Amino acid sequence: MAELLQFVITGLSVGMVYSLIALGFVLVWKSSSVANLALGQIVLISSWFTYSMLAQAELPVYIAFPLVVLFAMFLGWVIERFALRPLIAQPILSLIAVTLGIGYFIEGVITFIWPWSVDALPRLFPREVIHIGPAVISQEYVWVIVICLVVFVLLTVFFRYHKMGIAMRATADDQMAVQACGIPVTRVFSTSWMFACCVAAIGGILISSIGGITHGLVETGLKAFSVVILGGLDSFAGAIIAGPIIGLAESLGGGYLTPYIWAGVKDIIPFVIIIIVMCIKPYGLFGEERIERI
Amino acid sequence: MSLPCGTRNYNYAEDMGIVRTKTHWVLLIAFLVILFTAPLYFGNYWLGVFNLIGITLIAAIGLNILVGYCGQLSIGHAGFIAVGAYTAAILTNRLEMPFLVGLIGAGVVSGLIGIIFGLPSVRVKGFYLAITTIAAQFIIIWVINHWSLTGGFVGIKVPYASIGGLVFRSESSQFYLIIIIAALCVFFAKNLARTKVGRAFIAIRDNDLAAEVMGVNLLYYKLLAFFIGCFFAGIAGALLAHWIGFLNAEQFSFTESILYVGMIIIGGLGTSIGPIFGVIFIRILQQLLTMELVPFLESTFTNFPAGFATGVTPMLFGLVIVLFLILEPRGLAHRWALFKSAYRLWPFSY
Amino acid sequence: MNNKRLVIAIIICLALMVAALPLLSACGEPDTEGKTLKIGITTPTTGPAAEKGAPMGHGNLDCIKYVNEELGGVNGYQVEVVWLDNGYDAAKVATIVKRFMNEGCLLYSTSSSAMMAASMEIANRAGFPGIAAFSSPILYRPPQHIYGQMPDYGDDFLVFAEYYMDNIWKGTGKPKMAMHLLANTTGYGARDAATAFAEELGIEIIATEEHSKTTTSEMESLTRVKALNPDVLYISSTPAPTALIVKNAYELGMFPGITIGSGHAGFTKALIDIAGADITEGVYGVFPTVNWGDDVDGMAKMTEYINEYHPNDAGNMDYITTWAQSLIMVEILRVALDNAGYDALAAGDAASWKALEEQGIQKLKNYDVDGLHGPVSYTPGDNRLSKSVRVFQVQGGEITPLTDWIDAPMVAYEDFEWFGN
Repeated sequence: MAELLQFVITGLSVGMVYSLIALGFVLVWKSSSVANLALGQIVLISSWFTYSMLAQAELPVYIAFPLVVLFAMFLGWVIERFALRPLIAQPILSLIAVTLGIGYFIEGVITFIWPWSVDALPRLFPREVIHIGPAVISQEYVWVIVICLVVFVLLTVFFRYHKMGIAMRATADDQMAVQACGIPVTRVFSTSWMFACCVAAIGGILISSIGGITHGLVETGLKAFSVVILGGLDSFAGAIIAGPIIGLAESLGGGYLTPYIWAGVKDIIPFVIIIIVMCIKPYGLFGEERIERI
Repeated sequence: MSLPCGTRNYNYAEDMGIVRTKTHWVLLIAFLVILFTAPLYFGNYWLGVFNLIGITLIAAIGLNILVGYCGQLSIGHAGFIAVGAYTAAILTNRLEMPFLVGLIGAGVVSGLIGIIFGLPSVRVKGFYLAITTIAAQFIIIWVINHWSLTGGFVGIKVPYASIGGLVFRSESSQFYLIIIIAALCVFFAKNLARTKVGRAFIAIRDNDLAAEVMGVNLLYYKLLAFFIGCFFAGIAGALLAHWIGFLNAEQFSFTESILYVGMIIIGGLGTSIGPIFGVIFIRILQQLLTMELVPFLESTFTNFPAGFATGVTPMLFGLVIVLFLILEPRGLAHRWALFKSAYRLWPFSY
Repeated sequence: MNNKRLVIAIIICLALMVAALPLLSACGEPDTEGKTLKIGITTPTTGPAAEKGAPMGHGNLDCIKYVNEELGGVNGYQVEVVWLDNGYDAAKVATIVKRFMNEGCLLYSTSSSAMMAASMEIANRAGFPGIAAFSSPILYRPPQHIYGQMPDYGDDFLVFAEYYMDNIWKGTGKPKMAMHLLANTTGYGARDAATAFAEELGIEIIATEEHSKTTTSEMESLTRVKALNPDVLYISSTPAPTALIVKNAYELGMFPGITIGSGHAGFTKALIDIAGADITEGVYGVFPTVNWGDDVDGMAKMTEYINEYHPNDAGNMDYITTWAQSLIMVEILRVALDNAGYDALAAGDAASWKALEEQGIQKLKNYDVDGLHGPVSYTPGDNRLSKSVRVFQVQGGEITPLTDWIDAPMVAYEDFEWFGN
C-alpha cells in the first residue's frame, strides 16, 4: 500500500512538470496553430539564463526571477517578430520547420555562451522532504504543482476575461474574420509567443532545480508533446489533466510492469497510451473536435 | 505549362514523357555522365559524403511520398529507417542471407511496421498523427534496445554489401550501388505521382473527405502511403547498415527524424525534385560547417572564448534554415521552377 | 518587394561566399615544408552529449598545444591535429572518419563510446587505428583496430564490486545489489560485467533498473528497489541522472544507509554540484584518472593550461581524461617514430596505419602518462591500453581517492553466448 501511494504521488508530481511545459506549447498552438519544435531549447536557454543571474551574477532571487521572465518575454518577442511574422499566410509546415531552425540556433547560442554545458542551479528549495503518510515528496515537486496550478488559473482567467485573451481565442478560430474586425493579429501572435516563452522559462527553472541543467532538458521539452496531444492541442485544461495522467501511467506502469517486461518500460508507456487514445479520441481528451466541410 | 514554346504533343505517349526536348536529353545525359564518373574526380571523403546524401535521399523520397503527396505528417522516420537497418543486419549477419534478400526484406518489414503505426491515420490527422509517429519512433528504438535478436545495447555488425561474387568494399563501388538504387527510387517516385495511386494520394492530401466522397478508399490509400514511405526508409536503412558496418540504436535519434521533415520542407513538399534539393542542401551545409568552418574558426580566432567555434555551427545551421524559409517558404523546388521559367523566357521575361 | 528579396538573397549568397573563401584558399594551399604528424580528434562538442564532449575537446587540444609549443612536438616533428565536432551524430561521425583517412591522419580518437561504435567498422575495414576515451566492450571484443584508452564500464563494475566485497561488506552471506543503468552502452556495459561475474564475486543482483538520460524522477524505480532491501546500489550513468538517483534515494531514506557506487561516466564534479555536497556525502565511485590537485608529474602543466585557456572547465575530470588521451597519442607517435622512422609514417595511408599500429601502439610498455592515469601498456589480445582504476569517495564535497590503481581483469565477452544476443 505504501508503495502504491508513493507511485501515485510520484506520478502526479512528475506529471505536473510535463503539464507546465505543455502549457507553453498549447499557448502558441491556440493562437496560431504552430507546433513549436523549439520548445525544449527555449526551456534550456531560460534555465541557463537563470543560472547566470543566480550563480554567476549572484543576484538575489527576487531580482533574478523577474529578470528571467523579462528575458523570456524578450526571447518570445524576437522569435515571433523576426522568424515567424515574415511567414504569416505561408504553408503551416514551413512555420513548423522555422521553429526547428530556431531550435538549432538557440542551441548554438547556448554553446556559445555556456560552453561547459552542465551545471546546477543554486539550491532553491530546502532538501527536507514532506511526508504524506508512508510516502515522501520533495519540496521541489510541491512547488512545481503549486506554480503549475497558478499558471493554469492565470492563463484560463486571462483567456476568458481579458481583451487580449479573447482576441487570441478569436484569432485561433478564424484569422481572416479577426483581421476584418480590426484585431491586430500580429500583436496577438507576439503576445502569445511572449507568454509561451514565459511559461517555458518557469518550467525550465523548476526542472533544472530538480535535475540540473543539461542538454536533456531539450528532450524533456519534447516529451511535453505527448502530454499535449493526450490533452488536446488547444486545451489548457487538457494539458493540466493529461500531465498527471501520463505521469501516473509512467509511475504505476513502471512500478508494476517492470518486473515482467524489459527494463525501462516506463519510458514508452506514455507513447503506448497516446496511440490508444488517438484511436479512440482522435482530438485528445479535451481537444476541440473539428467539423469538416468539403 | 512548363514546356518550352513549340513543343507539342502528337500522341499520348509523348504527352506522358518525362524527357521532352533535346535540351532535356542533353542535360540528362550530361548529368548522368558526370554522376557516374564522379569517383574519378572526388576523393574517398567526398564519395562518402555523396553516399550519405544518396542514402538520405532514398529515405527523404519515401517521407516526401508520405508527407508531401499524401499529407500524412510523420515525425518518426528515423525509427522506420532503424527497422530497415536492423532487418538487413539480422538477415545478413545472423541468418547469413544474401545482400539483396536483406535489402528487399528490410523494405518490406519496415513497410509493414509502417502500416501498423499508420493505422491511427484512419482517424487522426495533422499534428495529432505526427505524435503517433513520434510514439512509433520511441517504441521502435526501445524494442531494438531490449530485444536480444537485435544485439540490444551492444549493437550488431553488418558485413559488406555483395551481389553474387561482387563485394562492395571500396567507397566508389558503394557509391555506384547507392547511386543506382537512389536513381531508381527517384524514377519510381516521379512516376508514382503520375499514376492513379499518386493522384489518389494528392486528393487525400488536399481534402480527405472530398476524396472519400469521390470514391477514393481512404484506409487503403493511407496505409499504402505508409507502406511505400516506410519501404523506402527500410531500403535506406539497409544501405546505411552496410555502409556504416555497425548498428547501434543511438544512431537513429529523434532529432534525425525532425531533420528529415526539415529537409523535405526546405526542398519543397510534394514535388519530385524537392527532396533532392533539400537533402543535398542540408547534408552539404552540415559537412561544410563541421568540416571546414569550425576548424577554420578554431585555428583563426584563438582569442575567442571556448564555445565560439562550435557554437557557430548550430547557430549558422539554424539561421540558414530560418532565412531560407523566410525568403522561400515554398521550398527550393519552387525557386527551381521560377528559375526554369525565367530561363525559358529570358531575356523577355514579361 | 521582389527586388528587395533579390537583394537580400544576393547579400546572403555573398555572405556565404565570403564565409567559403577561406575554405577555398585553404584547399589550394601547398603542403608546408615542416614535417608534421597528423592525427584526427573528434569530440561531441555540440549536441546531446556536449556536457562531456565540450571539456573533452578542450583537454585534447590544450594538450597538443602544450606538446607542440613547449616540448617542440614529437622528436622534433610537430603534431598536426584535425579536430572535428561530431555533434553526437552517427551520420556525421561516419563521414568524419572518412575525412580523417582522406587527410592522411595516422590515427584518430573519439571521446564517447557511441561515436566510436558508429565509426569503428569503417575504421576496422580500412585498418585505421582508433582510440576511444570512454569505451565499451563491443569496441574491442574481439580485438581489431580500435583501442580503449581506459577500462570500460564493465571494468568499473568489477573493480567496485571487488572493493566492496573486500572493504565495505561486513555482513554475512551474499550482499544484495541493485543496479541502476542508463539506457545505453554506459549502463549496459556494467550489466554485462555483472551477468558474467556476479556469481563468481559472491554478489546477488536483485534488481536491474533502467533510466533515460532525461529522467526527472526515479522515485518510482527506487521505491521498488527499496522494497527489496538492497545492501548496495550501483549506478552506471552520466552525472545528471546519477545525481538525481542519489537525491531520490536520499529522499526515500535509503541513503545514507546503503552503499552507493557509481561508474566513471557519472562520477564527476557535476554530480556533486547537481545533487548537493551534503546529499552526495559518502557516495563511492571508480575513476580511471587522478583527481585535480593530486601530486603527479603532469598536474602542474595541465592546471596551468586549463586556467589559461578554459577556466570554465576547472575541476572537470573529463578534461584530465582527454589530456591524458592526447599524451598517449603523442607517446604512440614517439614510439612509432623510434621503431619505424618518419618515412614509414609520412604518407598517412594504409601502410603507415599498419606501421603505427604494429610499431607504435602495440609496442607501448608501461608508459606512465605523467601519472595522470594508470600505466599504459599493450598486451596481445587485450585492446585496453590502461587497465586500472581507483576507487574514490565523496568526502566533505570533494572526490577523495581511497585506493591505489587497481587492475581490472580482461574479460573475453565474445566467449559468452549471451553477449550481443
